[in-house]
Amino acid sequence: MALARVERLSFAYPGSEPALRGVSFELWPGEVVVLLGPSGSGKSTLLRALAGLVPHFHGGHFSGRVEVAGLDTRTTRPSDLAGTVGTLFQDPEDQVVFTGVEAEVSFGLENIGTPPEKIESRAAAALAEVGAAGLAGRKVAELSGGELQRVCLASVLALEPRLLILDEPTSQLDPDGAAAAIELARSSGATVVVSEQRPERVLDACDRVLFLENGRVVLDAPRADALDQLPEAWLPREADLPDAEPAGEPVCRVDDVSFGYEQDRLVLQSTSFEVGRGEVVALLGPNGSGKTTLAKLAAGLLEPRTGRVTRVGRACYLSQDPGRYLVAERADEEVALAVDGDLARARRALAEVGLAGFEERHPRDLSSGERERLALAAVLVAEPELLVLDEPTRGVDPERKDELTSLLRAQGSGRATLVVTNDHVFASAVADRFVATVSEPEREVSLA
Amino acid sequence: MSPVPAAALLAGLAAAALLADHSASVALICVLLLAICLRAPAERRRMYLVGAFLSGLAVVLVTPFVETIGSHALWTGPTVPVLGRLDVTSEELRNGLFQGLRLTAVALAFAAYALLLDHDRLVQSAGFARRSVLAIALATRLVPTLERDASGLVEALRGRGVEVTGLRGRARLLSPLLAGSLERAMNLSEAMEARGYGRRGATRAPRPPWGTVERLALAGGVLAVVLGALWL
Repeated sequence: MALARVERLSFAYPGSEPALRGVSFELWPGEVVVLLGPSGSGKSTLLRALAGLVPHFHGGHFSGRVEVAGLDTRTTRPSDLAGTVGTLFQDPEDQVVFTGVEAEVSFGLENIGTPPEKIESRAAAALAEVGAAGLAGRKVAELSGGELQRVCLASVLALEPRLLILDEPTSQLDPDGAAAAIELARSSGATVVVSEQRPERVLDACDRVLFLENGRVVLDAPRADALDQLPEAWLPREADLPDAEPAGEPVCRVDDVSFGYEQDRLVLQSTSFEVGRGEVVALLGPNGSGKTTLAKLAAGLLEPRTGRVTRVGRACYLSQDPGRYLVAERADEEVALAVDGDLARARRALAEVGLAGFEERHPRDLSSGERERLALAAVLVAEPELLVLDEPTRGVDPERKDELTSLLRAQGSGRATLVVTNDHVFASAVADRFVATVSEPEREVSLA
Repeated sequence: MSPVPAAALLAGLAAAALLADHSASVALICVLLLAICLRAPAERRRMYLVGAFLSGLAVVLVTPFVETIGSHALWTGPTVPVLGRLDVTSEELRNGLFQGLRLTAVALAFAAYALLLDHDRLVQSAGFARRSVLAIALATRLVPTLERDASGLVEALRGRGVEVTGLRGRARLLSPLLAGSLERAMNLSEAMEARGYGRRGATRAPRPPWGTVERLALAGGVLAVVLGALWL
């Protein structure tokens, strides 16, 4: 008997075009289903419908039927589905309720009425399962993005749900962490529906593939068949990291640098590398190994505690999740900030990233993918000598990723580009060579 | 220390500052609360302490001009519509100092609450009105979250070569900060509902029992209120 059944589901957010159009499928106990599709194709909406959040939380026009474990989501509130359904959302920072890791993992267990004497042990077991037992006593504000994502995954797994919904669960994890998270979800015994923008991370572990386009399921097939039918950009690609020799006049040189946010703890030690003009260098490394810190040092946003960073010309830095950090009322004004209000240059930069016609739109009215491109335009417009991009493919679908690769390669000859990424497939496509940070116990040997 | 008696002690000290009649007593409470706040890391406490002292100072400076008490004029100025004649008397100065100290004491008590208490355990300890306590805890978390968002915005702008300087530059961040926190609040409430928040039959993780320190702190809170009302 199917665990979940979706019948002719159509849904439109208030005042919007339909996000889902006549979607039907069933989910069987224990199967792992991968949900693929371009940004804006309705993946997140479909996951929310399975959790009952659509329509209860968002409102809008809902037709059709969604049933999970015999419960009709129109008549069962999401909070009553919790425990049967466990949902991990895209952005870990937006789902954390408490300040401490233990309390955070216990929160869902308390809500679903777990006997008090079992709460602590189940929370500890869930943290251990995701390899985060060591984080138990920590504050969430101190964790890296990847560590926080593990904690959020533990919070969901602790509920022991029958249907596990994962919305881009690996977006902030390094490849090993991502593989472990997917394997963990698979071995939990729950039916798993996972939406992902990096197909190579999940296709090996799944039983079935659903592909969405414009709110419709255009492919629903077992994994083997799906591999023959998926659009080319969505097929798994091998990461073949390039390892060319450093080339070009050095634009940024990081020399024997150490840095720590706290007096008694160093995040980086004795770290050296350089980026030359015309080069695209990928900065790789496990979660929490100091990649973002190193990128900020290279861009001049942080000053090293010891050692030296030298740069030629202007440096621009695009932070992780840049769509969150937009300040202007119009897209073109946002981009023009970096060029003293030159709107003509700003509009050209918008067109370069595919946002022609969006000039007068409010940045917060754009979709998350469009915001990311707007933020990219806001740094590209300055034509910096050194461009530093921190996880630019987070939440970006493969087709957009290919466009980004082409853009960076096309513009790369005149500048030095440093790309911090956990996405080794992207790094293979965009970079000339890579440098790697290492995790804490091995930090003395820092960079490759 | 368990957060409930610690919160009770801080609330007691704040109440005592509001009930006390003498500036010296309120000043003493301020010193005590400042000593407590100084236990927090320097980077974190700076913003709270600056806020507490600036708001107290503002009251000290403004009160003499908006009050009309006392007969020992130290300075007499022009007559201003609505406010009347501007003057400063020694009684107004004393009262301004007293009210400023009171506000500083309350702000320091909040600073100690925000900086030093384990808000997670406070929520978990709430035997009743758990929703209200959770709302207070989330509101308390809002301050550091806004702080982080603000530095994220400043950093994102610096990353584009745009320096945020002056009052006007910082004021430009207010609207995106507000919009960002509203988005965050929506996402958080959705995630909370998906994790069963609001469902009947919720339980709580067991709490460690209170020891002598906790009992003393609770008694200290009550004692502070009584002393404030009767003797200070």
